[in-house]
Amino acid sequence: MSVLVVQNKDERAAFDEVFLPHLPEAYRLAQWLAGSASDAEDIVQEAALRAFRGIKSFGAVNARAWSLTIVRNTAFSWLTKNKSRTVVFLNDLSAAEQQELEYEGLHGTRIETPEEITLFKADAAEVQKALAQLPVQFREVIVLREINQMNYRDIAEVTNVPIGTVMSRLSRGRQLLIALLGDRR
Amino acid sequence: MVASLSDSDELQLNAYCDGELDPVSANEFERRLANDESLKARHARLLSLRRAMRSLPQADVPSGLQARIQSKLDAERPSNVTALRRRSWSFQALAAAAVFGAVISSAVMMTIEQYDQRENVASQVVAGHIRSLLAPQPFDIASSDRHTVKPWFTARLPASPQVPDLAAQGFALLGGRVDVVGHDPVATVVYKHAAHTVSLTTLRPGQSVSEQTIAGYNVRSWSDGDFTYVAVSDLPSADLAAFQRAFAAAAPAPEIK
Repeated sequence: MSVLVVQNKDERAAFDEVFLPHLPEAYRLAQWLAGSASDAEDIVQEAALRAFRGIKSFGAVNARAWSLTIVRNTAFSWLTKNKSRTVVFLNDLSAAEQQELEYEGLHGTRIETPEEITLFKADAAEVQKALAQLPVQFREVIVLREINQMNYRDIAEVTNVPIGTVMSRLSRGRQLLIALLGDRR
Repeated sequence: MVASLSDSDELQLNAYCDGELDPVSANEFERRLANDESLKARHARLLSLRRAMRSLPQADVPSGLQARIQSKLDAERPSNVTALRRRSWSFQALAAAAVFGAVISSAVMMTIEQYDQRENVASQVVAGHIRSLLAPQPFDIASSDRHTVKPWFTARLPASPQVPDLAAQGFALLGGRVDVVGHDPVATVVYKHAAHTVSLTTLRPGQSVSEQTIAGYNVRSWSDGDFTYVAVSDLPSADLAAFQRAFAAAAPAPEIK
């Protein structure tokens, strides 16, 4: 019995060491993925619980990627469960539409953005709105890259896709964002 | 309109902005960038997007979130401990079952091995006996004098048995030979009873070889503190038992070196 309590204490210590330092990042990621502060808090709490329960599976390699992976997955299942119409999943789309989005742009053509959009003076609200319009799979790589400032390898780990997919999604996602922000001007 | 970049240029541009190009590729890309207006425009645009993204207000962790998580984990704790306990019980059961199973199977294996070994020893001893009968003579050292046979063994083996002459009991000492049982050279004392040859092989003490008949030869075994003896002969087992009695009676007598 005492051994078990110690075991539990060890798990708490491990959790404190592995997950807690990344709480601010976890919260930010959750907020960007969910789009609302209260949802983000729910997601992070749920993710923390999952992380605690699964702390033994932490392989002591990359605590940050491990923690954010849990947050990301929790956010995804949360979004699926409480799906609002504004959240677009790539999986919701037909294969052709997915193909189109991943490789061609929003409306079946390559994303062509006007040359004059070279500098943004978009305010935070506009960027936020544009980001929210992106399919989640694009949004997450952009958030992980720009907000969490992760490298490609870690993004690939967190999103569980090959690096090549991370690269193409980043590129596509940015073009989509630029197009959306450009439309707004 | 900016001329479309090829997909690979687009990816390269992104990778360059993200600092993911290796130094050589980055250097190459910078040279291209310097000479390509359209590429330059796209690069500037990506950077301004980045600036816009990074200037987004970053929400701080709500105060109390960490405390709420901690208390949630505290609440998790009792049930978790019970779960652990339950699990550990089943672990114990599992461990017990495994240990029990291991005990059983190792016992089975040991029994099988011991049985094999025993039978193996007996058949090896009998094989030595048969081989000796096929050889021109069943011994390496021929002597009816125990004071010749004993030193011969002593010179060759780590342990040598006493070699009593049992001629008075009907078992004349013929000599001795070295057999190999397992990988160990062992002393075998050879006696003659009428037309029958008796091989008495001496093994490490504490082994048990059951009384049996192998290939028509009777096997009889006994032990004292120094050796396990295995007698092999085509003698009837009653005569072999008489041999054992005679040897056991003679062997304990302190040997004069």
